[in-house]
Amino acid sequence: MKQTHAPTAETTSQGDWDDYIKAYYEKPASFKSWSGYDLKEIYTPEDRPGENYKKNSADAGTYPYTRGIHANMFRGRLWTKREVVGIGSPADTHARLKYLSQQGGSGLNTIADVTYEMGLDADHPWAIDEVGLTGVNITSIKDMETLTKDIPLDKVSWSLITASTAASVTMAQYVAVAQDAGYDVGILRGSIQNDPIHFRYCGFRPACPLDLSIKLGSDVMEYCTRNMPKWYYTTVNMYDLREQGITAPQEVAFGFGIAMCYIDELIRRGLDIDEFAPRFTFYVSCHVDIFEEVAKIRAARRMWARLMKEKYGAKNPRSMQFRFAVHTAGCSLVPQQPYNNMIRIAYEALAAVLGGVQSLHCCSYDEPMCLPTEKAHLQALRTQQILAYETGVTNVADPLGGSYYVESLTDKIEEESLKVMNQVEEVGGMEEAIRTEWLDRQFESEAVKRQKELDKGEKLMVGVNVFTTEQEKTTPLGVQKISSSSAKQQVAEVKELKRTRDMDRLNDAIKRLQDDANDGKNLIPAMIEATKALGTTGELLGTVREVFGYPYDPMESIESPFNF
Amino acid sequence: MVKRLLAGDRRSAARLITLVENEMDDHHKVMSLVYPHTGQAMILGITGAGGAGKSTLTDHLIGKFREQGKKVGVVVVDPSSPFSGGAFLGDRIRLQSHSQDDGVYIRSMASRGYLGGLSRATYDVIRIMEAMGNEVVIVETLGAGQDEIDIIHIAHTCLLIVTPGMGDDIQAMKAGIMEIADIIVLNKADLDGANTSLRHLQGALTAGSFEEGEWMPCVVSTVSAANKPEDLQGIDELASAIAEHQTYLRKTRAIDRVKYNRVEQELGLIFKDELQKIIFKGLKGTGKKREYIESIIEQRNDPYSVVEEVLNTYLLPGE
Amino acid sequence: MAEKKKIKVLVTKVGLDGHDRGAKVVSSLLKEAGMEVIYLGMFQRPESIVRAAIDEDVDVIGLSYLSGEHLIFTPKVVDEMKKNNFVDVLLIAGGTFPAEDIPIMEEMGIDKVFRAGSLTESIVDYINDHVEE
Repeated sequence: MKQTHAPTAETTSQGDWDDYIKAYYEKPASFKSWSGYDLKEIYTPEDRPGENYKKNSADAGTYPYTRGIHANMFRGRLWTKREVVGIGSPADTHARLKYLSQQGGSGLNTIADVTYEMGLDADHPWAIDEVGLTGVNITSIKDMETLTKDIPLDKVSWSLITASTAASVTMAQYVAVAQDAGYDVGILRGSIQNDPIHFRYCGFRPACPLDLSIKLGSDVMEYCTRNMPKWYYTTVNMYDLREQGITAPQEVAFGFGIAMCYIDELIRRGLDIDEFAPRFTFYVSCHVDIFEEVAKIRAARRMWARLMKEKYGAKNPRSMQFRFAVHTAGCSLVPQQPYNNMIRIAYEALAAVLGGVQSLHCCSYDEPMCLPTEKAHLQALRTQQILAYETGVTNVADPLGGSYYVESLTDKIEEESLKVMNQVEEVGGMEEAIRTEWLDRQFESEAVKRQKELDKGEKLMVGVNVFTTEQEKTTPLGVQKISSSSAKQQVAEVKELKRTRDMDRLNDAIKRLQDDANDGKNLIPAMIEATKALGTTGELLGTVREVFGYPYDPMESIESPFNF
Repeated sequence: MVKRLLAGDRRSAARLITLVENEMDDHHKVMSLVYPHTGQAMILGITGAGGAGKSTLTDHLIGKFREQGKKVGVVVVDPSSPFSGGAFLGDRIRLQSHSQDDGVYIRSMASRGYLGGLSRATYDVIRIMEAMGNEVVIVETLGAGQDEIDIIHIAHTCLLIVTPGMGDDIQAMKAGIMEIADIIVLNKADLDGANTSLRHLQGALTAGSFEEGEWMPCVVSTVSAANKPEDLQGIDELASAIAEHQTYLRKTRAIDRVKYNRVEQELGLIFKDELQKIIFKGLKGTGKKREYIESIIEQRNDPYSVVEEVLNTYLLPGE
Repeated sequence: MAEKKKIKVLVTKVGLDGHDRGAKVVSSLLKEAGMEVIYLGMFQRPESIVRAAIDEDVDVIGLSYLSGEHLIFTPKVVDEMKKNNFVDVLLIAGGTFPAEDIPIMEEMGIDKVFRAGSLTESIVDYINDHVEE
């Protein structure tokens, strides 16, 4: 289904007035939401027969929290403007963090690179080529010290984006640094993504075997629940799932499915739902169909509240509140006509805010091309600031609530999402869906569908299948160079650390980690100790892996240096 | 190029395989040069439904043969799309551990329209791998026992991979396992229902009738896809079973019968293909093809009578 | 009956990069365009890529890069191809690159770069037009 008329740049530049006149009478070709649901011309009270406000919506801050988790939403506190940062070395990342916080950013947010997420030290044969290209690698406590240098950890809120089993080490490294600096971990505020199960779908299967993912993910969750009451120990990542090309209801359904794997494990360990659920958070996408995304978020809030109350018997209101951060959809952006991305990102940020987000990362416009330059990063932050300070969307909680359309769409997304959750049950539950690769097949078939929609013109994208222009030769706000000398230096420092550290102390710590793993204990304390003894990411994870029967090295190219 | 092939050159092997797969140029001539250097390899067929674990088993078996110092060639066949003619050949992903081993040569093939999953060219591809110096050639394919072009006619030892609770075991029994495979592999034997499946399979075998000295298919339980090395099961047993079958073939000279069948099959296929080409070409030339076909459509004639007439006229004069 | 020779395309990720959505979609759509696609998946090094390309006698090697590693690995892949005297294939790349890197990649030996947002037709047409019979 094509546009009835979609002039290309070439025609109009030749002064074809015919096209111009046709464009005046243009109609949209499709009346479906992004996820494919038919929409009516207009929604009226008739679409809401028997509406039960108290049961299905209620005010913001009241169960089932459809309209928001706080009664006053942004009047009480603006969402955190938390731009993701991760470039090159810990020192480079630290500099960018400082820059953004001076420009008005209100939350620190650092992301691991592929080598760190895979659990490799910077000097690992597979890591050497790629250290620092997509984020930061923290091999030892020294790197974490550099990253956090001079930053008052007792006052800031820090989001650590390590998703894989390496998150256990990240947590240990952060705690170790905080403790060495004299902070009481009980007052630390922030979050750690810690969602290794979903990371299997981001290319990290070697680092995230299912059983180890549940084990280490839950160890972090349990440790934080008991020791760090102000810390959010997981941000279950449905954003990455959505990036695979799935629909909005699938995003919620699969995200909840993965969340339940962790929840069930924590309950199995003897924790009470109300003990830990208040600190359980999510990472959600905002794609470019504004209304569908708002409806999705509202549906997720309602579904989560009911899930916690009815399935898990939660009593604490905070357990039933769907707390989430948003990352605007990377897959909605394209390199063609790059400035367009700023507009898409602005709309997506709007959806996030209209949806009542707690913490927001806006992509920078160069997301489909490279890591952001300072300018690009700043522009993303400004996008948030204009939204927060100029548009007035912060004045009222759930401003779209009550719209006949948005309420209908919220119900629709909830309905479809529950259907998908049933599908997962029919396949045997989430773990089974993962093991049998049923989930992989969903992602693969949806991804092909999305591409075909673009190829056939069923979904339109400016610069891709309509209004296309010659490929640009330059990137408007410059290209961020990742310093290869930074990487080389980090590798050299890692080698030096391994050469000069106290091996007796380290061996003792590694032995303890091994013992704790064999005894089924929570491994974070041992990891903290080993980190302070200058044990590295690869060494800590490798030791645990071996106890669980896996090769020391996820890439199976190096052996454990320890020989007990 | 054939000379280089005989010396074990990978590039030549690859090019020659492309040649025969696409029936290019003088592939007949080339194959006649290759043929004298074949016949010494063990040809192992591995078949079974999608998802049964064929590739992971192949991966382990390659390892076993390499331990014995044998060079291994592998042909992995996947179905071509009946709509586009294209194919997605993704089995190499599961054969990664041998990607840098010079003693292993892996080639993916699309079935290209052959229902049984194997094209005529497969015979030639196997020969090229033999001539290259591989002492074992493994042919992995989907489906079994459905067509004249299939694995049981190509391989010396045939493995059928089934998994518990998928109904494969029942299907296998219905089709008559004895006709399909020399060794039945019950893979994913750690799943529920494995014991039941095993009993069914063994029951079906004992119910079958075998002559004195004939090979009775055996069942081996395996777990091929394990994240942890310690969870791997049955690979040694499988390798032994294969070795036993090979010994049986040699000792009882059953290998001769197998070879005879292979050649007979292949000749039959080539005759069929070539004769069809010749006849249709000839008929077209005389304009008779369209005549015959239209007469059949208009019910003035039927296919069998047409064939009889053509054969009597052109092939069997005087009969 | 000899058919027109099928075009064989090797599609692979390189290094640690795990963003495989594009590589899988392209592979699927090339299959629908009648090509035979050898999909190598993740964690490939230049040696394993070129070894597979030779053994499978492919016409096209397609590299998928989405983690900023394109300038690091491309020369290594091209060197490996030269070392093995396997240079007559079409070498294409897809993924995320800044515009400035495209001429550099072409200089290194990539015949054509397809950025994210490329429509399938452009890739299929390019391959059909540039693979020698």
